[in-house]
Amino acid sequence: MSIEIANLIVNAGLVYAGLGLVFGLAFVWKGAGRLDPDAARGTWGFRLLILPGSAALWPLLLLRWVRSSGPPQETSPHRSPV
Amino acid sequence: MGHAYQAVGWNRQKKIYDRTLLLGVVLYLAVFLGVGFALHPEATAETMILRALGTAAFMLLHVVLAIGPLSRLDSRFLPLLYNRRHMGVTMFLLAFGHGAFSLLQFHGFGDVGPLVSLLVSNPRFDSLAQFPFQLLGALALFLLFLMAATSHDFWLTNLTAPVWKALHMLVYLAYGLIVMHVVLGVLQAETSPLLAGLLVLGMIVVLGLHLAAGWRERALDEPLDQLAREGFVDVGAFEEIPEACARVVTLGGDRVAVFRYGDRVSALSNACQHQNGPLGEGRIIDGFVTCPWHGYQYKPDCGASPEPFTERVPTFETRIVDGRVWVSPVAQAPGTYVEPARHPGRAR
Ligand code: FES
Repeated sequence: MSIEIANLIVNAGLVYAGLGLVFGLAFVWKGAGRLDPDAARGTWGFRLLILPGSAALWPLLLLRWVRSSGPPQETSPHRSPV
Repeated sequence: MGHAYQAVGWNRQKKIYDRTLLLGVVLYLAVFLGVGFALHPEATAETMILRALGTAAFMLLHVVLAIGPLSRLDSRFLPLLYNRRHMGVTMFLLAFGHGAFSLLQFHGFGDVGPLVSLLVSNPRFDSLAQFPFQLLGALALFLLFLMAATSHDFWLTNLTAPVWKALHMLVYLAYGLIVMHVVLGVLQAETSPLLAGLLVLGMIVVLGLHLAAGWRERALDEPLDQLAREGFVDVGAFEEIPEACARVVTLGGDRVAVFRYGDRVSALSNACQHQNGPLGEGRIIDGFVTCPWHGYQYKPDCGASPEPFTERVPTFETRIVDGRVWVSPVAQAPGTYVEPARHPGRAR
């Protein structure tokens, strides 16, 4: 791997993580509660714990937050949507 | 069960579990460092610490992987399963420490940044002996991070159980990568038969336990569908089901827990709504089917959790004919009341 490509990969990763961190802070503060009512009253410890995951999965969560449709309902024979 | 999320829903068991875990890890690190320095007084502290952390994480990964099949084989191991996530997160933190120390030691002082150096410093992908094994470890660490970061119940709910499960199945990929990382890295530097033997032993234990548990479940799952009569399936003799316990059968691809209590029989989906825990391995306590994993409860005749909880599991029609229990493979909507079948000879 050339050093230019390596630089590109590392910088892209850092930008993704940086944006993720900024998004994550907003998400654990407000967004999580929009998605899941149980999270709206979550403790600060809980918010801190979900911060890394929020930063890592930010594109998915951003999409959900924008659509704000509540927690997804899985469909399977064992759990049909209500 | 609707409640505000906390960081950790502490209880006595979890505290004992975590204390034991922490003590074990600290003891291991202390012994490793003590013995390591005694045997290799020339080694640097950084080297020793990164080895201690790496081996601790690798061993803990074996324990994490063994707990699932062990508790399926023998319910006495269930307490270990109870707080496995904390063990998983602990394992990630150890692995992270190992990775961070390695990055600093091997890539921290060059002309390019440590991450760039990690990517470019060793391009010998075509050589087995010189393979850039650190990249394998880095990839595994990334997967472990994804799992550790999503271990809270919030993620289970908001990613949905199937997605969450699929994500956490990556632990097997991570295990494979780490084995390669160890084989191509450590075992090249130190061609010790003891280390190689331990590695193989670990793989045999992990693989063997998974095969054993899978084989046993296949035997339990053996479809009884051939005995269909009026669409119902014979799931065995009433007497064979222990009082207040269940027999688990596979009907139409779904696992169904058939509970006996008194002279009655009720059938529910085997999958707990909380985290797909095996309801059929639980018991009826105070009139409620109680999940063995975290104690969620369901009424046996309608599959609904007691007020104020709202969980519901599907129910199945049951019949008792000539002392044998028959169950319809058609799942009723979660929470549907189904008249329990009664054993006439057992009326109280
Ligand atoms: S899986 Fe948690 S209570 Fe059943």
